[in-house]
Amino acid sequence: MGSKTSRGPRLLAIATAAVLAVGVSACSSSKSSSAAGSSGKSGGSFTYWSMWRQDEPQAKVIQAAITQFTADTGIKVDVQWTGRDVAKKIGPAMAAGKAPDMWDEGEDVVYGAAAQNGNAKDLSAVLDMTIPNDNEKVSDAIPSKYWDSLPKDPSGGQHWIVPYEASTAGIFYNTADPGVSAAMASQPATWDDFINVCQALKAKNEPCLASEGEDSWTNGLWFDYLLNAAGVNFNDLAGDKTGAAWDNPAVLKAAQQVEQLVKGGYIIPTYTQTKYPAQQTNWAGGKAGFLMNGNWVTAEVAKQIPSTWKYGFMLPPGATQPDSMIFGFALTKNAKHVSQAEQFMAYFLQKKTLSGISTQADNITPRTDIPAPPELATVQKTLDAPKLRLTFDGVAGDWTTKVWNQNYLDFWHGQIDAATFISKMKSAQVSFWKSQS
Amino acid sequence: MSTATIQDSSRARRSRGGSAPRPPVGAAPLERSRRRMFWAFTAPAVLVYFVLFLVPVGYAAWTSLYKWDGIGPKKWKGLKNYQTLWQDPTFRHSLTNTLKILIVGGVLTFAFAFALMLILREMNRKLFARSVLFFPCLVNAMVFGIAAGILFSPTGPVDKILEALGWSHPPQWLATQHLSTMILGTLIWTATGYYSAILMAAVDQIPEYLYEAAELDGANAFQRFRHVTLPMCWDVISVCAVLWTVSSVKIFELILMYGGSSGSQPPAGSWNTAMYVYTEAFPTASTPQLGLATAAALVSLFMVIIFTVVLRRLLRRDPIEY
Repeated sequence: MGSKTSRGPRLLAIATAAVLAVGVSACSSSKSSSAAGSSGKSGGSFTYWSMWRQDEPQAKVIQAAITQFTADTGIKVDVQWTGRDVAKKIGPAMAAGKAPDMWDEGEDVVYGAAAQNGNAKDLSAVLDMTIPNDNEKVSDAIPSKYWDSLPKDPSGGQHWIVPYEASTAGIFYNTADPGVSAAMASQPATWDDFINVCQALKAKNEPCLASEGEDSWTNGLWFDYLLNAAGVNFNDLAGDKTGAAWDNPAVLKAAQQVEQLVKGGYIIPTYTQTKYPAQQTNWAGGKAGFLMNGNWVTAEVAKQIPSTWKYGFMLPPGATQPDSMIFGFALTKNAKHVSQAEQFMAYFLQKKTLSGISTQADNITPRTDIPAPPELATVQKTLDAPKLRLTFDGVAGDWTTKVWNQNYLDFWHGQIDAATFISKMKSAQVSFWKSQS
Repeated sequence: MSTATIQDSSRARRSRGGSAPRPPVGAAPLERSRRRMFWAFTAPAVLVYFVLFLVPVGYAAWTSLYKWDGIGPKKWKGLKNYQTLWQDPTFRHSLTNTLKILIVGGVLTFAFAFALMLILREMNRKLFARSVLFFPCLVNAMVFGIAAGILFSPTGPVDKILEALGWSHPPQWLATQHLSTMILGTLIWTATGYYSAILMAAVDQIPEYLYEAAELDGANAFQRFRHVTLPMCWDVISVCAVLWTVSSVKIFELILMYGGSSGSQPPAGSWNTAMYVYTEAFPTASTPQLGLATAAALVSLFMVIIFTVVLRRLLRRDPIEY
């Protein structure tokens, strides 16, 4: 009995000692690692959540830049290849105080998830920084139009993102496709001309358009561009709390033009029954003439298209301004290692580093002195326009999810006609804004 | 036997109440020690329940009275979030879908499960058959979402088989208007195996002589099910009904995987309340609305409680002992 009672405290003492020892060693190891981190050239580190998955070419380009950056400056980058889910994770992470210093995404996501509430740091200082080796300022290397098209944050600033990839959306096709070239001698100047091209293709049993029927974003681009052609601003249309903006005859006309595509039977027949990327693959296999998408599609189908393929690109006839989407770095509101992250942003914009986005990731950069990949040369010219406008004129977020997606898909699938679409959008929008007030 | 049952239940009642009248001084030592042990054994569970369940629910209820993005300051809204939910057609539609899954899905799942009980009890190799039926519920919902894109595409195996059988225009399985039906179908398919497994475990406990006696009395298979199987595992059925109620309201990954495309949420027509909560709390390119999300979650919780209480009352039967 006596031995038993004495063993209790002894065991407790050993256990306590063990816990303390582990605790001390844990503390000491963390100290030593942070000491090692600060022993570099200028030292320090920052955390970064990327929108790219590790196996994507953009991630490889950024990873190579990070390695070189650490070697040059001694600044360590703690990177997580989060993928597109970063859009959903960043808000809760900021709320929990666990957000990284830097993250990247499309400008619509950065604005919606952070900048519109003042949760993205102003990066004007980066614009004044000199890009290493190139000896030019960031604001000289990147045209200001990319920032000018952005919505303002609560403090009135537009410099809440530093872009490293630029893109637009439009109609892609293969100029070497005999069906397409027979139907379209030159790019159509009017909407009716475009419908005639579709009709000519249909007459030869070739579907005019490929479409991922489930995707309201790519298919919605038709309506977006047709509204633009009619002089209607999508953002104003979506933001009208009374819904009266939908009564504008120009809006109905744009809807009727979209309806022509649906009712005319110009879309690949199985489009409502498949999941991404089935129809994109069909298009790359020559089973439809045109595809409306962002310019990243050329990189996505690069391995599927035949070597004879030659890219053509155009905007829907009448559209006056190309859509613009930029992808770039942003800093969270409570970022601790601002200076280190900002140094990296300027570092990544070096001509030789950023060229990887074009040469390896097959996409366009916002630097005009980096040529786009050959298949996107025409697309890059579109982005040379002096003024850019955001896709859907910047509409994103809850309105898209609750008002737009379901109604537009019903319309695009031919379940409702143009007039019903307009009236459904109007009433859904009125309810939406009522619930938001 | 009956005396024992009465004694047990009175003891349980006292223990559960916690505030049962103190036994008279000089009560049996066993009774006293049992009273002493009650809190020692119950306290940890009560504590865990309180910290991990009641506190978060209370915090959610408190949050549901504010407009809050999770980062900035909270703005008092009172009951306006609930009013917003009521006015939001998307939420009303989500609520309808939740009830559809709960009721239509529940009725069909249990109809299939009962039919399987009828067959499985008497078939050869029933263990193998049960494993096959149970298998779908081991598979992650995400796999179904991804596999559906391949299986049900117009060039996929399902349509090919149907065409070979002479059905030249099979349904457009993956079209958005069929999304809810496909989700419901997958749900019933996975849940049937799960509930069959639980119900069959109860059926296995029923003594064989009851079936033999029924057979001697001339009962056919359905009558044996109706008069022997069903009453004998009624308790398990009522537990399964509650399990279904609770789990069916929480489903959302299946909807997300079936309906979500590369960049956007599933179309609002396919949402249930759980999906609504998810999109309000984790939106893709807008501000989280935690007040609205928690209000919607509490409405779901309230609905589950109501359904569970009603179900428990409807399914209450006197226990059969054997």
